[in-house]
Amino acid sequence: MECCNKRRMMKESPESNFMNRRGSSCFPDEVLERVIGMLKSRKDRSSVSLVCKEWYNAERWSRRNVFIGNCYSVSPEILTRRFPNIRSVTLKGKPRFSDFNLVPANWGADIHFWLVVFAEKYPFLEELRLKRMTVTDESLKFLARSFPNFKAISLQNCDGFSTDGLAAIAADCKNLTELDIQENVIDDKNDNWLTCFPESFTSLEVLNFSILHNDVNFDALEKLVTRCKSLKTLKLNKSITLEQLQRLLFRAPQLCELGTGSFSQELTTQQYTELEGAFSNCKNLNTLSGLWVVTPQYLPVLYPACANLTFLNFSYAPLDSDDIAKLLVHCANIRRLWVVDTIEDKGLEAVGTHCPLLEELRVFPADPFAEGDARGVTDSGFIAVSQGCRNLHYVLYFCRHMTNAAVATVVQNCPDFTHFRLCIMNPGQPDYRTSEPMDEAFGAVVKTCSKLQRLAISGLLTDLTFEYIGKYAKNLETLSVAFAGSSDWGMQCVLEGCPKLRKLEIRDCPFGNAALLSGLEKYESMRSLWMSDCKVTMNGCRLLAKEMPRLNVEVIKEDGSDDSQAERVYVYRSVAGPRRDAPPFVLTL
Amino acid sequence: MEEMVMATLDLITASPHSSSSSSSSPTTDNNNNHPSSSSSSSSSLCLSSISTRRTDLSTDLRLGLSLSPSHYSTPSREQRSSFDWPPVKSTLRCTLVEKSQISLFVKVYMEGIPIGRKLNLLAHHNYHALVKALANMFRTTILCPDSHQLPLISGNNVHVLTYEDQEGDWMMVGDVPWEMFLTSVKKLKITRADRC
Repeated sequence: MECCNKRRMMKESPESNFMNRRGSSCFPDEVLERVIGMLKSRKDRSSVSLVCKEWYNAERWSRRNVFIGNCYSVSPEILTRRFPNIRSVTLKGKPRFSDFNLVPANWGADIHFWLVVFAEKYPFLEELRLKRMTVTDESLKFLARSFPNFKAISLQNCDGFSTDGLAAIAADCKNLTELDIQENVIDDKNDNWLTCFPESFTSLEVLNFSILHNDVNFDALEKLVTRCKSLKTLKLNKSITLEQLQRLLFRAPQLCELGTGSFSQELTTQQYTELEGAFSNCKNLNTLSGLWVVTPQYLPVLYPACANLTFLNFSYAPLDSDDIAKLLVHCANIRRLWVVDTIEDKGLEAVGTHCPLLEELRVFPADPFAEGDARGVTDSGFIAVSQGCRNLHYVLYFCRHMTNAAVATVVQNCPDFTHFRLCIMNPGQPDYRTSEPMDEAFGAVVKTCSKLQRLAISGLLTDLTFEYIGKYAKNLETLSVAFAGSSDWGMQCVLEGCPKLRKLEIRDCPFGNAALLSGLEKYESMRSLWMSDCKVTMNGCRLLAKEMPRLNVEVIKEDGSDDSQAERVYVYRSVAGPRRDAPPFVLTL
Repeated sequence: MEEMVMATLDLITASPHSSSSSSSSPTTDNNNNHPSSSSSSSSSLCLSSISTRRTDLSTDLRLGLSLSPSHYSTPSREQRSSFDWPPVKSTLRCTLVEKSQISLFVKVYMEGIPIGRKLNLLAHHNYHALVKALANMFRTTILCPDSHQLPLISGNNVHVLTYEDQEGDWMMVGDVPWEMFLTSVKKLKITRADRC
């Protein structure tokens, strides 16, 4: 379309000053910007910016949102120079394995310097979404002061701040619509932060403080919920009782997403009825989470609200199979379900029976360290879900053992998996029926699921698994590996075979320098590589750094370890050069 | 049950990170000044949760330490690989381990009421939570163990919480650390304050 129009306009248009010598663009800049401004997809914008200089400029001036998957891949100066008009920034910091304590404290990913630059270059910033970054109270206070139009803040897996920072946001962000604090490490100092929202403040649409430990000022919360008529998402912490929940629901029947508080207060019959009534009044509820400390006898109050639910997050509520079965009878529309493995295989059979529209299932372990006669879910539960839920495309499954045959059956039933994350909790666990490695299981996954984007493997695995992955997983973008593989050849297969690989995270595998260096040409097309407790040495890392100057090759060095071994290696592409803020234990080679 | 609770007691006394004010709520934990101190106190709670069935005490200590991101010295390789697996996020792991099926139900009587109740002590993490739950259950005012209001009592609907210990003696709740209380409590009784 573009070509024809260009040629036509070249002939017809007398405005030859809009054509450069190559005739590559004949739209006025404002038109081009307006058109390109309508593009929402990051990939499309990226492609568009490569066409020619005019399009590059139109794209950069019209861009409003930017997503940075690795905060060290670019600097705030470079970002603000290229994109002058940004309103919304999403930044991710630490490598994902920091969730499992593999990254020491004070590693970095501090937001503050970004905010300082944004305050100057993006004074109209409206949204900030951070994941795995360090955010201090000082930064939050600075943010609240510096951006008068600020609307939405979402902090996921962040650390370094306290409720004092939240108080500053509440007090100073007059146009706030979203305050979303998820799974962070936060110092819960006091309950007063909720009182910091001024009486005149009514714009809140999303409020999530579910991770706070302590009591909040309920009076302030109730008043806030009452006056914020547009509130759509409310996620409470465990200090909120059922009685208080009922009062809040009474004030906000328009809620779409609810995270309850504790679900186990002693209720009178009247209170129970009132609570049930409150739930049946919530006609728009599509997401339910929370349920800290559940008394199963009270679950029926939820039934009136279940019919429209599409996302049920019970990952903090260890229910048994009967409780979940009784509830799921009412939840025919569920698309996403997160549960604890206390529901066992019987509970998963109920899922398969009652939730035919299910697309995503996550089963978390109640007791990850139990040994001996521990319960949980097994291969038969997995098969039961796959039989009933043919639309399943995302699974995260923690179990104690698995069989190759079961996984093969599952992917045969559900060939459209895009995300397949199987965690057999005992490292190096073979197929418990045949005692063979689990290679064929993951072989079946990659052969059958051509759309697979994300894979996490576990159990006893040889290089054969990686051969399969390299050969078949042509759409794979993220691979997580632990306690697997026999030799360097395994990692090499993946690096040479998976064209779309972006993130590779490996721990406790026998991959050494040969494996690391086989990816020389690959790493620049990837976001990052993490290798910990493998067989990589400092010399291997130095060689990689020397051959690929545009990569940052960082080794996390701890005291008392062998100087020649590189125990934790983080390699990523960057246009910002080596880190300027690296702590002493991070060596950039 | 008893021996697991005793094992917990050993963990508490052995751990250098054990909070000396283990009966206090997370915000009063001032063992360190790191902003994430609430998480380190919740790690001591996880440590005290007796749902970890590992018998290797040193591993359990490291487990507790690993749950605290404010722990500065990086653990050694051997320690790390034994407890950072399976890959369950700290916040989730902590909450679930606290709430697994193990329970400690004790009988609770209120003075003047012949029919008693039963309460799971492990559903609560400290005296404050226990007293709050009981006050709710019995619809009365129960004085908190750390409050010093006894001299002001006059009415007959103010109560205090007492317990029967392993030796059969009736004691005032709140004098010993919470975990120690868990190991010695057999029964609870809510008695009128003006009787104590």
